[in-house]
Amino acid sequence: MSFLAPLFLVASAAIGIPIFVHLIQRERKRVIQFPSLMFVQRIPYQSVRRRRIRHWALLMMRCAALLMIVAAFARPFLKQEAAAAAVIGGTREIVVLLDHSASMGYGDHWDRAKDAARTAIRSLGTSDKATLVLFSRNAEETMRATTDKGRLEATVNAAKVDADSTRYGPALKLAESILSRSSARRREAVVISDFQRAGWTGSEDVHFPEGYVVNAVSVATPDANNISVPSVTFARAEFSGQERVTVSAGIANKGNAPVADVPVTLEMEGHQVQTQHVKVGANAAASVTFTQFTLDRPIVKGTVRAGTDPLPADNVFHFTVSPAAPVSVLVIESGNRAESSLYLTKALAISTSPPFQTEVMPVTRVTPNNFEKRSLIILNDAAFPPAAANGALKKFVERGGGLLVAAGEHTTWPQGETELLPGTLGATVDRTAGRGATLGFLDHSHFVFEIFKAPRSGDFSAAQIYRYRTVTTTAADRVLARFDDGAVAAAERKVGQGRVIVWASALDDSYSDLPRRPVYLPLVHQLVKYLAQFEPSRSWQTVGQVVDVTSLTKARANWVVVTPSGKRVTQNGPLELDEQGVYDVRPAGGAVEGTPAQAIAVNIDPAEADLTPIDPAELVAAVTGHAAPVAAPSPAENPAFDVKEAEKLQAIWWYLLLAGLLLLAAETVVSNRLSQGERFL
Amino acid sequence: MQHSADATVMPGARFVDPKILARIGNLELLARTVVDGFINGLHRAPYFGASIDFAEHRGYVAGDDIRRVDWRLFARTDRFYVKQYEADTNTNFSLLLDISKSMSFGSKGLTKLEYASYLGACLAYLAQRQRDRVGIITFDSEEVAYVPPSAKHFNVLLHTLDRARAGRRGDLIKPLAKMAEHFKRRSILVLISDFYEDPDAILEAVKPLHFQGNELIVFHVLDPAELDFGFEDASSFEDLESGEQIPVVPQSFASEYRKLIQDHIGALTTKFSEHRIDYKLVNTAEPLDRALVSYLGARERLMRVR
Repeated sequence: MSFLAPLFLVASAAIGIPIFVHLIQRERKRVIQFPSLMFVQRIPYQSVRRRRIRHWALLMMRCAALLMIVAAFARPFLKQEAAAAAVIGGTREIVVLLDHSASMGYGDHWDRAKDAARTAIRSLGTSDKATLVLFSRNAEETMRATTDKGRLEATVNAAKVDADSTRYGPALKLAESILSRSSARRREAVVISDFQRAGWTGSEDVHFPEGYVVNAVSVATPDANNISVPSVTFARAEFSGQERVTVSAGIANKGNAPVADVPVTLEMEGHQVQTQHVKVGANAAASVTFTQFTLDRPIVKGTVRAGTDPLPADNVFHFTVSPAAPVSVLVIESGNRAESSLYLTKALAISTSPPFQTEVMPVTRVTPNNFEKRSLIILNDAAFPPAAANGALKKFVERGGGLLVAAGEHTTWPQGETELLPGTLGATVDRTAGRGATLGFLDHSHFVFEIFKAPRSGDFSAAQIYRYRTVTTTAADRVLARFDDGAVAAAERKVGQGRVIVWASALDDSYSDLPRRPVYLPLVHQLVKYLAQFEPSRSWQTVGQVVDVTSLTKARANWVVVTPSGKRVTQNGPLELDEQGVYDVRPAGGAVEGTPAQAIAVNIDPAEADLTPIDPAELVAAVTGHAAPVAAPSPAENPAFDVKEAEKLQAIWWYLLLAGLLLLAAETVVSNRLSQGERFL
Repeated sequence: MQHSADATVMPGARFVDPKILARIGNLELLARTVVDGFINGLHRAPYFGASIDFAEHRGYVAGDDIRRVDWRLFARTDRFYVKQYEADTNTNFSLLLDISKSMSFGSKGLTKLEYASYLGACLAYLAQRQRDRVGIITFDSEEVAYVPPSAKHFNVLLHTLDRARAGRRGDLIKPLAKMAEHFKRRSILVLISDFYEDPDAILEAVKPLHFQGNELIVFHVLDPAELDFGFEDASSFEDLESGEQIPVVPQSFASEYRKLIQDHIGALTTKFSEHRIDYKLVNTAEPLDRALVSYLGARERLMRVR
């Protein structure tokens, strides 16, 4: 016999009540008033009569009645434990978390995982419910809580390994929320995975409440060998006006055994270009450099393949290569002074990513046509160009162009164009008498100065500025730098889609020694990149990333995206890259002049190549707070129970309650009769 | 005891029973210590006066009455000496009556408070008759009524006794300490209580009264039930003051109780006598005149010895 509500048995302590009544009640019947109990209190309390129970039968009746009522409330039942589970509504709610990340494609991992999922589903009782959650980087409730084992199994059978990385946090959180909504008495999560260590950082805030069971089924292969291509690099060179690229691929061996003679093949546009063989030590990496090739089209798709192993997904690395697009910069100078743009042009010439295409022009020769197809115009200590008047320069900036004004003695600004300049230019401040001004404040949160944020990343304090123009900014302008006396050194204003920055001193050595300082080169590059709104093109993306097709193609037309699996999607916005391979992005309705087709190479997360497993018990302990996973009783021992039968088994309480009440009634009669013949105090 | 005085004539007059007074009429309540009064009375004063009791000689100084010069001594010594005599005076008599709830107990019809009132009234009568000023203070946990000593206050005293009702919890220390402030002049103080306190605490409480040169007389009033604990049935005993109830089986308690109360009385007797305070246990079952006679008689005898 056992009890469904054993806590009620605590109430059996109430049998002390009749004993207490027997002992105490009679003594309180007569009260004598006495002046003071000062001396009475000092006498140890003792009573012979109170120790004596005269009506044992009566006491026994009372105790028995109480015990029966208490037992009835505790709901006893007769049968083994399995029956109890059924009686108390022992339905189970399980959440099967099936990992289908890229790493599950290793060997037979996926088949074993599906088998484990099917086993979990088959273990369900008739009233048990299960939810199937497929997870990789994100978790998806593929089959909502159902008792239909057939549908659950069909969903498992139809599931496929995807190319995404592994993260246990979202999946476990989803499982916890599903289980918390359930009313089932036993709630269980079954995690089927290869338990990659990379998927669990330990900082996931997942806690299962007390009573939830987490079972971990690991399909990991001990000492798994895996070769992967985590990245490629490009070396670009100019030869005969053509750009030539050298591809180097990194090969990583995540196994405990060295591998020799791994064939590494470079494919360009589907054609095998070259194969090399490489030897990679245990848990080491090597690199392969292929022969140079000439970039003869706007975008070239390439693939590096390395060896063969049980996880083929990470043996392939896709990439795209495009000729470097130079940033066109027009430097307008005063023309009054020779080589006033020498430092600037030299600094701009030293860059390959991106290369800057610089043209220097005196202000008098500038025509509006010179603004065409420029990314940036630099007014280097020059008067406002007559050609830029009447809003021509403003239009250029509003369309997205950049303008850098290096304010020197020749710089003038017409009244009609004040909207374009951040602030107002004032008189020249001459600090040649002393040590000269230094830059006292830099806005390191701005893109231009961000690279100088880290310690020892550019010493601006060494540069001395002897003369500068005062700049009075307005609330709409952002001050990027100030001199040591608080005067504005650089300020920015956004005009339309473009950006304008005024540098309060000249960018040559007439006003300062900044051009001779090491910080000059990165400063100029940052200014130009920022103002030209340069964004480096990425040769590949990782599965799970989202790209904006519109910004990628820089055209507002509709685009057709052909996924690596051959699916065609018309897209004009964000595109989630969920497949490994190369996405082709083409203009909808055929080729359009000036908008070439694009390609996006997508690779799996390099972390997926690291198959080192975490101890499943560690993960379970972190989630449940238990040192070891709580073993769930085998579902086979938990047969479905007929409700009527269950009710029948626990019907004893009715009889107990009835008997208890009858006893109490009898006790009333007996005690009344006894008390009539009793002479109490 | 009968109420012979007509209550309508004067409230409290019933406490002065002529039969009792007839028996104690020839006794005096004299202060054993030197007291300080205004008029000639029965008590010894701290000054030299005109009584017939010779005190001492002192040298004649200019201005002394020539009739006081002891001529016989002059004849023997050839020097002038003046004879000095003891002065007799009247004193203050104050009755300090405990009217705490426990005093309302009475197993034989007469409560301890009533008995104490009779006792106090008789003593006040005696004092008043010997031209002492009489006053009364009733108290429980604090002072309830205060009648300052006066030659004309005997009736007020009786009236106060009549109005006294035992209703609240009692305490000795606090009210007695406060009372001590009233007695600037050396007085006779008669404290009547049932003394349900620790003997040491009682002594601490009465010390302020005693140390000011007052003569303190203590009457310990107890009911016979309190002395012999003659209960039979097991009952719940309720403390009259605190209301606390304790189940008691008297058969097993009585002997121990009697021992404890006798120890208490013994302790009080010892401690009071150590401090030269008159202590008299009064059993309310005892006729009042017998109690008074035994006390005043003994006191008079002792006075003569001294």
